[in-house]
Amino acid sequence: MTKGLQISGVTKYYAEGSGRIAALDHVSLKVEPGEFVAVVGPSGSGKSTFLSIAGALLRPSEGEVTVNGQLISKLSDRELSKIRLQEIGFIMQSSNLVPYLNVLDQVLIVKRMSGRVSKEDKAFAIQLLEELGLGSKLKSYPEELSGGEKQRTAIARALSNNPNVILADEPTASLDTKRAHEVVELIAHEVKSRRKAAIMVTHDERMLEYCDKIYRMEDGTLSLLQTNQREAMNLVKV
Amino acid sequence: MYLHIKSDTCVRYKNGGVEQIMFLAMKELMHSKMRFLMIVIIFVLLAWLVFILSGLGNGLSTLAASTFKNMKADYVLFEQGSQNAMGKSLLSDQLVEQVEQLPQVNAASPMGSTMATALKGQSTKNEDKIDIAIIGINPGSFLEPAIVEGSGLSAENPNHVIVNVTMKDDGFKLGDTFQLDGSTESLTIVGFVENQTYNHVTAVFTPMEEWRKITFAAPGSDKGIAGPVNAIMLQGKDIDSSAINDKLPGTDTVTRAEAVQGMPGYKEENGSIMMMLGFLLVISAFVLGVFFYVITMQKTNQFGIMKAIGARNGFLSKAIVSQVFVLSLISIVVGILLTYGTAAIMPKGMPFKLETNLVIIYSVILLIIAVLSSLVSVRKITKIDPLKALGRVE
Ligand SMILES: Nc1ncnc2c1ncn2[C@@H]1O[C@H](COP(=O)(O)OP(=O)(O)OP(=O)(O)O)[C@@H](O)[C@H]1O
Ligand SMILES: [Mg+2]
Repeated sequence: MTKGLQISGVTKYYAEGSGRIAALDHVSLKVEPGEFVAVVGPSGSGKSTFLSIAGALLRPSEGEVTVNGQLISKLSDRELSKIRLQEIGFIMQSSNLVPYLNVLDQVLIVKRMSGRVSKEDKAFAIQLLEELGLGSKLKSYPEELSGGEKQRTAIARALSNNPNVILADEPTASLDTKRAHEVVELIAHEVKSRRKAAIMVTHDERMLEYCDKIYRMEDGTLSLLQTNQREAMNLVKV
Repeated sequence: MYLHIKSDTCVRYKNGGVEQIMFLAMKELMHSKMRFLMIVIIFVLLAWLVFILSGLGNGLSTLAASTFKNMKADYVLFEQGSQNAMGKSLLSDQLVEQVEQLPQVNAASPMGSTMATALKGQSTKNEDKIDIAIIGINPGSFLEPAIVEGSGLSAENPNHVIVNVTMKDDGFKLGDTFQLDGSTESLTIVGFVENQTYNHVTAVFTPMEEWRKITFAAPGSDKGIAGPVNAIMLQGKDIDSSAINDKLPGTDTVTRAEAVQGMPGYKEENGSIMMMLGFLLVISAFVLGVFFYVITMQKTNQFGIMKAIGARNGFLSKAIVSQVFVLSLISIVVGILLTYGTAAIMPKGMPFKLETNLVIIYSVILLIIAVLSSLVSVRKITKIDPLKALGRVE
């Protein structure tokens, strides 16, 4: 069984007018457990589409996606939501919180979807939020949070179920430099210490130093730009 | 600032308890109280109307036929061609003996009914004329209702009668004698009974003999029938009415329920109330369904988010249905309280009668309607695309 995330020959067509456009064109990528991959590229090049397919949110028109050894293209919708719940932590382009849940419940809702919430789950969620600098906001609702606080809540939510794959779509877009570094460092640390496979889409050049590999997406095709394995390892305090 | 994620976190994928199911529903209810309060208000008004209408319907049909409904009879034997109506049926009481011989018939007793007007004293004032229904029965038969005050009928004193307690409200008391309008007969109240109204008016029970005197005062009005009665009430659970029709030509045996339907105006009156109730329930289903649907539509985005992070359709559907269930329960309970409150301040003469089991039945119907109408929203949720949550489509 191959762990991590494998994407092979994925093509995605979107219907446009009478014809179709290829948002992704035979994209292949393999992310090993413990590997942190960055994807950069111009707007509209297909990055979010790519991440949605990797995150079992969108079915590819062609090609295969394997998450933690499971081939997901053959799965039913119900099984896909199970994969999303158990295997994937998705940090979305805009934070997308549930309006009527406070910060703590936002994180715990993931546990509720899979069963009961134990005392340990709660303690863990609080610890996670505290480390993301949200210790004083546990009872706040999304409408009372800043953009950055919302984003950090979403990150805590993505990490709360201990997923094997972390997918982040511009997680630092609404954060200041200090927080941005902390958040990406946190993700990088998770990737290394818990051996998760992670892909981060970013526009922020400064965040690339935390990643092992940097890919570039252009007009739906993915190409390797740079490998800086050693540097990345050194930067992260393991 | 690093944290330690438990590596032993074993994700169980199973249904949570009630608390899990209600969690989302309750959180949302508490967070947007105003929005849900509005739905509750609409629902309470609908429920209130349903209960009031059912109480009125029940009250009217009780007024129309409680004497009939409370009789310990299972079947009614009418003259053939009488359309199950007392007023159109005339039989001889000699049939009583014959029908008692038939299989499955445990007991039989004759009955007659006539509408009349009681005159209070010699007064000519409007309010001193009271509409009554004179019900002729054999004293001591199973048709004689239980006395709540005074004594029962006796064959020796044919003009001693027992009457419904509502006559007390008209100023009559035990021992009073009253005249009948257009008749030389006068009747003396010796006992009171409860819940005895017939054709929307007070029932006055007299011995058969006295009833005949009043009803067939005009010569020849009995069509020469010996011992005339309107109908014969039968006891016996498994009576085969067609067998009786064959054995006793010129008669027609029906169930008591059919006989109630045959009362003048009963079907029409009951029918219109039932039709109103039916329409009201259908309209409620639409109104509630549309409300739930609109609310659900407003939440498309957040349902998408939850689907994106792994919520199954079942999880979200349960949240919606349990929310509707809670709202319905609150609304129905408030509606019931309001209804009983209304009943308490209603004027005495109003034909309004709440019955616990009717209230329960309509509560359950309303609950089912609400939950069913929310299923339209549930269907919509299952179709939501989790990608919507990625902020692309708003
Ligand atoms: N649902 C859709 N239907 C049709 N076309 C779509 C749909 N979603 C995306 N596209 C198109 O596919 C292409 C890739 O979109 P995508 O969102 O993946 O870009 P992106 O690289 O994430 O851009 P950005 O950096 O601006 O977020 C774009 O041309 C977009 O217009
Ligand atoms: Mg994008």
